[in-house]
Amino acid sequence: MAWIVEDRLKTYQPTRSEPYLTAKIKDEISQKYFPRYPNKRAALLPLFHLIMHEYGYIAPQAIDEAAEFLQLTPSQVQDAVTFYEEFRLEKTGRYVVNVCRSISCELCGHQQVLEKMREIFGIEPGETTADDKITLLEVECLGACEQAPCALVNEDLHGHIKPAEFCSQLQQLPAAPGHSTTDVR
Amino acid sequence: MAYAGPVLLKRIPDDPAQRKLYRYADYIATGGYASLKKVLAMQPEDVIKLVVDSGLRGRGGAGFPCGTKWTFLPKDLFPRYLAVNFDESEPGTFKDRYLIDHDPHILLEGIAIAAFANKISTSYIYIRGEYHHEAKLLEAALAEAYEHGIFGQKHPGTDIVGHCYVHRGAGAYICGEETGLLESLEGKRGWPRIKPPFPAVAGAFAKPTIINNVETLACLPAIVEHGAAWFKAMGTPSSSGPKLFGVSGHVNKPGVFEEELGIKMSTLIEKYAGGVKGGKYRAAIPGGVSMGVLGTDQYDAELDFDIGRKYNVLGLGTAGVIVMNDKTDLVGMLRNIVRFFAHESCGQCTPCREGTAWMHKILNRIVDGFGQPHDFDMLAELCLTMGAMPGTTICGLADGANWAVKTFLQKFPEDFKSRLKSRQVQGVAVSGAGVA
Ligand SMILES: Cc1cc2nc3c(=O)[nH]c(=O)nc-3n(C[C@H](O)[C@H](O)[C@H](O)COP(=O)(O)O)c2cc1C
Ligand code: SF4
Ligand code: FES
Repeated sequence: MAWIVEDRLKTYQPTRSEPYLTAKIKDEISQKYFPRYPNKRAALLPLFHLIMHEYGYIAPQAIDEAAEFLQLTPSQVQDAVTFYEEFRLEKTGRYVVNVCRSISCELCGHQQVLEKMREIFGIEPGETTADDKITLLEVECLGACEQAPCALVNEDLHGHIKPAEFCSQLQQLPAAPGHSTTDVR
Repeated sequence: MAYAGPVLLKRIPDDPAQRKLYRYADYIATGGYASLKKVLAMQPEDVIKLVVDSGLRGRGGAGFPCGTKWTFLPKDLFPRYLAVNFDESEPGTFKDRYLIDHDPHILLEGIAIAAFANKISTSYIYIRGEYHHEAKLLEAALAEAYEHGIFGQKHPGTDIVGHCYVHRGAGAYICGEETGLLESLEGKRGWPRIKPPFPAVAGAFAKPTIINNVETLACLPAIVEHGAAWFKAMGTPSSSGPKLFGVSGHVNKPGVFEEELGIKMSTLIEKYAGGVKGGKYRAAIPGGVSMGVLGTDQYDAELDFDIGRKYNVLGLGTAGVIVMNDKTDLVGMLRNIVRFFAHESCGQCTPCREGTAWMHKILNRIVDGFGQPHDFDMLAELCLTMGAMPGTTICGLADGANWAVKTFLQKFPEDFKSRLKSRQVQGVAVSGAGVA
């Protein structure tokens, strides 16, 4: 929801000495992305995609570091980052299951997918399983309506979902902690 | 009407088992980049004239004539940019994704042609964040194209080097609106801009910019190959050419199909999409949820860019047809559509931000059985207040919401009114209750 700014006025922001913007991330941005645009600010989305890919969420400290790196103010970066739903400011489970809830998927049974998820994993949209393995989210049209109902599991699209089969596939995914951006199907 | 078979989908067979990804070598082997070669020997003005003459209209939703848009670029302002709109977030729309999944080079050739014709130095393909797979495909195809000198070279007769990059969005429908897209490209939140200035004068990075949809650009190689007259011979006089139609919802064989503009919706559903599933046809959305709904008596609607005036919808939009059978809860579907707009409104304009939210609240209470007798009129009144066409908002998102709501109310009034009445009879309607 683009225009609702969640409460981020936390008094305590955890920091760490190790930077989130690793040399690898900075190099990739400097070498691959800065030359593409007339200014550094335009590399903001690519930069945060790399951060998401690396950590699975965006820590407050990463916003400060990005501001310095892109020669912007932290508020300019915060302003942009909080607009985009894919940039998450909270940690999620290792697998984020984005179930499409838009019209074609509703017509083709997205509710049954959610019900099965509730039955098998005990979670509602917005919740994460106790073992931090699966976060369930509802999202708008994924651009794959011919495969409705569908869901994006991390970076992989699952179409023509059969709820029970889909849930057992999810159960079989390795549960190791941390986050993963590539799927094991 | 001279459509003789797939133009855009010529490399993508109907049979899913035979479909494959066309890499550079496959693309070349099937005649690819021959049009670009032809274009590079022409004068840029002649290429623009060719596109004007073809009557090609934008495939991104608005149907604006492509060649005319190109002529809006100021004569001597450089650098110029091309922003390729691959945001494709309108519910019911998946045609661009399907094309790129199999034939990414058709887009790259189109981009190279447009860049040469308009003396553009850098083209950005703005692709929605959820299309991870397609972003990778395009990156790989671009690497091949650079390797073979399609990009990274001077346009003949100029000092302009043509580059092309992928720029990924991050989950916001509004970044498909052309000026929201430009803001997002610049690393900001995707808030649409007030026009003027128009993007052709001051677009990306305040420089002249053309914004075109993926499918629009993918038409260019064929136009160059076969000529403007050939293209114009397909479709209807005001809507020329072949078109990709996505069909989803209650049909037996959902998918992307190519036909000429002007095809009847019933033909599309029966001949291509395997017919209506689970019941009889009741309603359909012709082109993404922003366009409003076609009624039960409009099953044979001819799908071209003039559909709006003829059938009381906003327009053809993205030609993403969403079919609903006679067992569908249309009130519930409208709630789904309105929730989408309330969720995706960028929040800059009060009538859109508040209006979509109120429409959602009202529809929620109707669906939940707490609809009040005046809710029907209240929804209709809200429609009148919001949109770029009533002149109260910056962009067209609010018009999409208002057309969806008003056409559902106009074409299926009983579905709504019966829900309001039945609760009245039971005496359950309580003022304010059920407002989520
Ligand atoms: C709210 C909104 C969302 C839009 N989303 C898209 C989109 O996802 N893809 C697209 O090509 N055009 C979209 N458009 C239309 C663009 O603003 C623009 O008209 C189009 O990209 C121009 O390209 P064309 O002339 O080739 O059609 C959207 C418009 C609005 C108002
Ligand atoms: S009409 Fe809605 S989406 Fe468009 S700029 Fe205004 S608030 Fe944003
Ligand atoms: S409606 Fe679910 S992918 Fe489009």
